[in-house]
Amino acid sequence: MRMKPKTEAIVLPLGVATLFILGWHFAVRWTGSDIFPTPGQVVTGLIELIQKGVLLKYVVASLFRVAAGFLLAMAVGIPAGLLMGWFGRARLAFNPAIQVLRPISPIAWIPVAILWFGVSDAAPIFLIFLASVFPITTSAIAAVQNIQQVYIRAARNFGIEGLELFKKVVFPAALPQILTGIRLALGVAWLVVVAAEMIAVNSGLGYLIIDARNAGKRYDLVVAGMAMIGLIGLGLDVLVRRMEKLDEVRWGLSR
Amino acid sequence: MSKLTKIVLGAVGVALSLGLLHAWLNLGFDPQMALGLKEKEEGSAEDRFRVGFLPVTCHLTCPVTDWINKGMAGKGFYEPVRFSGFPEIKESIIAGYLPATFMLAPMAMALRQQGVPIKIVYLGHRDGTALMVGKDSGIESVGDLRGKKVAIPNRFSNQYLLLRKALAAEGMTIDDIQMVEMPPPDMPAALYAKAVDGISSGEPFMAQTEMDGYGKVLYQAKEVWPDFISCVLVVSEKTIDEHPEWVQELVTGIAKSGLWLEGGMDQRMKAADVVATQYYNQDPRLLSFVLSKPPDRVTYSKLRLARADFEEIADLALEAGVLTGPIAFEEYADTRFSENTTGAGAYSWKPK
Repeated sequence: MRMKPKTEAIVLPLGVATLFILGWHFAVRWTGSDIFPTPGQVVTGLIELIQKGVLLKYVVASLFRVAAGFLLAMAVGIPAGLLMGWFGRARLAFNPAIQVLRPISPIAWIPVAILWFGVSDAAPIFLIFLASVFPITTSAIAAVQNIQQVYIRAARNFGIEGLELFKKVVFPAALPQILTGIRLALGVAWLVVVAAEMIAVNSGLGYLIIDARNAGKRYDLVVAGMAMIGLIGLGLDVLVRRMEKLDEVRWGLSR
Repeated sequence: MSKLTKIVLGAVGVALSLGLLHAWLNLGFDPQMALGLKEKEEGSAEDRFRVGFLPVTCHLTCPVTDWINKGMAGKGFYEPVRFSGFPEIKESIIAGYLPATFMLAPMAMALRQQGVPIKIVYLGHRDGTALMVGKDSGIESVGDLRGKKVAIPNRFSNQYLLLRKALAAEGMTIDDIQMVEMPPPDMPAALYAKAVDGISSGEPFMAQTEMDGYGKVLYQAKEVWPDFISCVLVVSEKTIDEHPEWVQELVTGIAKSGLWLEGGMDQRMKAADVVATQYYNQDPRLLSFVLSKPPDRVTYSKLRLARADFEEIADLALEAGVLTGPIAFEEYADTRFSENTTGAGAYSWKPK
């Protein structure tokens, strides 16, 4: 029996999800744990959050912080990466600094973020910015370096130079790889949301998890927060993949 | 306009609308007020000073004072800000974001010694700490803790000093057990999963293990250290200089609400219910349990600063290496606000 590819793309992952949820349910039942929640209890927890009217608020808060931090990271990271990719000296000067800052986990930055920004939205936005700006910059640098020289030479033969060359050739040719970097960075930015919201902001999915820990035996809400973060992460990834299919993005790939 | 430009503009648009939605849903931003359709209300949250607290019974007087004032005057005079851990509280008062907060007593003293301009002005509670072990663990006495793993909230916590004191009474030292630091909210699950053998922090996290049937009390704080203090009210010196009236109002409020909490079980149960649902976001049964079984599990009278209490803490903290040298009471404590509470009675207010 063969399914259509489109049906397959839905049925197969759903099958895996069903198996996973069943496995989870019975694992909790068989071990007799009354601390770790079953999938059913998590769904009940989610419904409770919806009834209280906080789920939407928290999703909006987290999405806003990630969007703001991530847009800032793109606004800084893409131009910086393009410049460093194009000008060897700039790369020589700045790249080591980037490689030093890049591996530092945003969790390590939490105390600094509170000291600089207090307990406001600025602190988590700063942490998300930090988490995403380095992968974006690094991928933009690599993207420019990987452009086939034949494009540049051909453009120069036609007399295209300077800003025009950047706009018409370098940027479009680098775009697909930059987008791959953006997709990875968006994953990281969303990954960091829990840590970023550990600062005493009082909204967001990360806050939901921290708050549920404070609330005593509410591990159903902890897992509900995890599930929401996962599902929204999936949605974000689908969106960015769509973007990679655009015509303007594709010509860079057709070498 | 190219498709890519549209996408970029779209993304910025989405971020902006998320920002507006977030401001409206979570930050109390009122679109009508922004457009000038509505007047600003008197005494809105941003006009009041912030007071930091954690959802533990050691900090209960913070929400209770706010609740009583809202009930009596229709509004509170400060903004209680809930935190999730002591490190964040510590950083917020260092950064100047918090003018006042509840904090572990040894932590406040150590910060003062490290040059952070803060003063202890009042206590928040007495007692309200226990050491819990697994019900079927076979641990019956402090002596049985030898070689076992015991969790405390923080090395700057008074629970740590309490544990040292309890061990010393049995002729043991801290080296006879394995000590781990753990955020109190994670302790009940750690005890349940037998990741640790004993846990000690402020309530309600200890009572939770008892209520859920897998933990038992090895000692209550008062059995080892009568009139035990875990947390104190700390204010920045800047606040004392610029707004001594805030500090006085807050200290007097805590004194009066503390006495109010001692004014009968009805009041305690009502407070447990309101604080759990409106301030702590916890199961109200848990706070009711802590505040009633037994009623002196946590107490809220005798909150004035007393030199002897603190000198004992300072001595133990010095011995434990929490403080790096002797520190004078006057250096970390400012007693004048506490002295002014003399004669203050309980709030005369009945909740509806």
